[in-house]
Amino acid sequence: MSEPKKTGVYLCRCGGNISDAVDLQSVADSLKGENVVVNIQDYLCSSAGQDKIKSDIEKGKIDRVVIGSCSPKLHLETFRGMVKEAGVNPNLLEITNIREQASWVHDKDGKDSVNSKVKGLIKGAVARMDSIEPLVPLEKKLVDRTLVVGGGIAGITTSLEIADEHEVILIEKQPYLGGHMIGLSKTFPTLDCSQCILTPKMVAVHNHPGIIMHTQTEVADVSGSPGDYSITLKHSPRYVDIEKCISCGACTRKCPTGAIFLPFAQAVPQAYMIDMSKCDHCGACVKICPRDAVNLEAKEETSTISVGAVAIATGFEPIDPSFIEEYNYPSPNILTAVEFEDMLSAKSKTGMRLQKADGTFPDRVAFVLCAGSRDFTGKGRKHCSKVCCIYSQKQAQLVKKMKGDAEAWIFYIDMRSAGRRFEEFYHHTQEKGVNYVRGKVAEIIPKQDGTLTVQYEDTNLGRKGREIFDMVVLCPALIPSSGTKELADKLGVQLGDDGFIEEKHVKLDPVNTLNQAAFAAGCVLGPKDIHDSVTEGISAAHKVSQFLGKGMILIPPEKPMILECNGCGDCVKACPYNALALEGRKAVLSLLACTGCGICVPACPIKGIEIRNFTRNQLKAQLKAMLAEAPGVVVFIDPYAYAAADIAGVNRKQYSSLVRFVSLPSIHILDADVVNAAFEYGATGVMLIEGTTDEKLTLSSDELYKRLKKDTRKHKKPLRYSHIETAQYEKLTDLLNVFASQAGAKAEKRSRKEKEEGTQEGIAEAT
Amino acid sequence: MQKENIVPESRDNAFRDLIIKTPGGRNIPTCMQCGICAGSCPVNHEMDYTPRELVRMIQLGLKKEVLSSNTIWICTTCFSCSVRCPRGIYPTELMETLKPIAMSEGIRNRNAKFDNVFADVIKKNGRASEFLLISKYSISEPGMIKQAPFGLALFSKGKLPLSIDKMEDVRELDAIFKLGEKSVDKEAKESTVAKESKETAPERSPKENEGQEAEK
Repeated sequence: MSEPKKTGVYLCRCGGNISDAVDLQSVADSLKGENVVVNIQDYLCSSAGQDKIKSDIEKGKIDRVVIGSCSPKLHLETFRGMVKEAGVNPNLLEITNIREQASWVHDKDGKDSVNSKVKGLIKGAVARMDSIEPLVPLEKKLVDRTLVVGGGIAGITTSLEIADEHEVILIEKQPYLGGHMIGLSKTFPTLDCSQCILTPKMVAVHNHPGIIMHTQTEVADVSGSPGDYSITLKHSPRYVDIEKCISCGACTRKCPTGAIFLPFAQAVPQAYMIDMSKCDHCGACVKICPRDAVNLEAKEETSTISVGAVAIATGFEPIDPSFIEEYNYPSPNILTAVEFEDMLSAKSKTGMRLQKADGTFPDRVAFVLCAGSRDFTGKGRKHCSKVCCIYSQKQAQLVKKMKGDAEAWIFYIDMRSAGRRFEEFYHHTQEKGVNYVRGKVAEIIPKQDGTLTVQYEDTNLGRKGREIFDMVVLCPALIPSSGTKELADKLGVQLGDDGFIEEKHVKLDPVNTLNQAAFAAGCVLGPKDIHDSVTEGISAAHKVSQFLGKGMILIPPEKPMILECNGCGDCVKACPYNALALEGRKAVLSLLACTGCGICVPACPIKGIEIRNFTRNQLKAQLKAMLAEAPGVVVFIDPYAYAAADIAGVNRKQYSSLVRFVSLPSIHILDADVVNAAFEYGATGVMLIEGTTDEKLTLSSDELYKRLKKDTRKHKKPLRYSHIETAQYEKLTDLLNVFASQAGAKAEKRSRKEKEEGTQEGIAEAT
Repeated sequence: MQKENIVPESRDNAFRDLIIKTPGGRNIPTCMQCGICAGSCPVNHEMDYTPRELVRMIQLGLKKEVLSSNTIWICTTCFSCSVRCPRGIYPTELMETLKPIAMSEGIRNRNAKFDNVFADVIKKNGRASEFLLISKYSISEPGMIKQAPFGLALFSKGKLPLSIDKMEDVRELDAIFKLGEKSVDKEAKESTVAKESKETAPERSPKENEGQEAEK
């Protein structure tokens, strides 16, 4: 009935990216004798490459495909779409990553070693392909609602752009909308006022029937799965009912301690609030309020919402420059650029006047760029904060505008004015008579009289200089706002090593994340200006609409199958997602609740559960073929840590070519059966690497490791476990190198010992 | 100071690569010329090149100018530059790396005097003696006469003891120095041999070359 399966192996030269390091012809030759068709292309992802695979399928030459190319992250969906058109089940196409995880990362090892690694990986993939079954993805209905986290310009734009088509819940940590932008004075390069362009947008959010807005609100907990999240929100008390308050100001006139206030005149929502650290509970405001809006007993509340998608727009915060000892921040008249902006913005507490600590206007102002950025020593941040070069020039212009004979000095390392209209802005600022000094400020010394001595080298002249200023403005590194990591972990979204959210693809998928239901916009993706934040807000809204518009979400079909059950209930207890239940003394699986983690597989005492296409036998077949080519270190890796290995590849972080990754939906699917098999087939060591931040899984990782260690002890070969988040790709490669050399040394020692024993036996026999 | 144009002949890549391999030179290729080192330097005005310029010259391999610069001898090893450098360059260590190279290349610098006197005192006594140090240095550096009143003031307050502290057995120290010299000689020989074979020593006069070849 079933025709013999025939696999096509397609190898991609990637225009030299792969073929320069790997002899693909020898890889193809090594497959002779196997029941496969092999083909090598310059660019498999091109239409010519895809057409070749398609025509081979249509001619009936092959009905399964193994591709050796770049990471599946890039083109898996493209290739699977193509084979689906040609009539092959998409699951019967898999990609072996021979670029990010082979040709780019083994420069130091000889070509032979890399070749044999690739041969092994491809042979493993072919063996796996022979054993897996066609699967159809499951469909789940989406919740047609989006949570936008962050009410700055990026979040506001995202919300407004989505809200005409899909419901939006917008939450903001602060008591008002507008984020950092509402705290800006004028905006470069046009010098239009920030609140003039932002206020209409904030009002539009407030009035839009499709947007529910919560201020002083944060995400407390996330449960559910992409497309169907149940999110718990935490609302801090404002003590004033936003709906009832008409901002008449009667309360603030009665308050003896100044505890009740309107954040600023244009604040949205327009409602007073109480700073409880100042309040003495006299109750004057409660009595005077004509609308009964004040409630001094208000408590923190929580609420639960159901959403299909989440857009993260939590923005940035300035780094606290007090760690730069030589800058003596904080001191009177040394401020950050954010504090400078605040003074001249809608939020101003000085009546929008620029003033020193003593209330007078600063006649000499210095702007110190790169305070904490471009620092590779670990004290500051590596990245360039991008906007400082331009905004500091704007601030310098403002100083000159407020007082014509005031002096403004800008201390810069490189004046980066890339961007439309920015070089012209730089030129214009020069024309205004601002002093530019090329050199990083070495020291800022506060003096008794409130002035500040700034010491620097004018690097254009090679001479040291010293100037006295009334005010020094530090342009601090812009970093992800506090809480970004916690939120990202809750949503299963990856961060880069700079702490900003990792895009699905750096260039081609800039507002998607590796979680298909989570999107990002604005400075949470890296420092940027208003224009770029708005662009990303619009992009993210489009991606959200596209995602929700499908109405359905496809769930990977690699789920557990219950082959045999004695009704013991161990798997039900093991499942952290309540996806298994006992019905009539048999375990039953709820497909939609199941995440496919596979923790039930080793939990079953009679080995009655297997994950589709990751069964014990399928994994063993892959390992056997892979290790038959050459022994190596087997690294079982989950998708999050796999992404770290991809980033290591993109950054060309080198590691041992003995490393063989075996990709799993989660390492919790493993039991001693599979690990023992790996050792038997010739693995010199086995590593388990997971990157998931889901505590439901990681809490049992230690137990898993100990159990496997115990059950594989007879092989006396090294077994390691490690937790590597996507950002920690450098830690990953260090670990792989150390482990590979340890495993290698151990294997060598063993073989030497065996040889000695062998010769001794030989001698014994001879005598 | 006469400034020479930078041309391929003035650049010595082998020198650059040698310095980059030392602990003090490891991050030199990443210098972005921000100048915080020079801005922090308390003796920058005495130097013919600021630490930043020195690093730039190493990036270019301007061996002759780097090694003849007084910068490496003026540095007081206060470490301000090393602490503040955002790229993890340690100019202080770099100076200590360059000093012995300059000496082994036979490049003399009048600012090296203090280092020489200090080394002599240590070699002889095993301990630093402020009195010996200052008197020996004053003899070789006539400008020090201006400091005499200050020295006298220190002396009168008992802050410049005349007693010379000595190690119990200086011969032990001699052995250490001899071992050190041996290994330096060996390294120097190896590096010159390596250089000769690569033919990357353009500034050496033909006479010197003859001498070395004769040695071989």
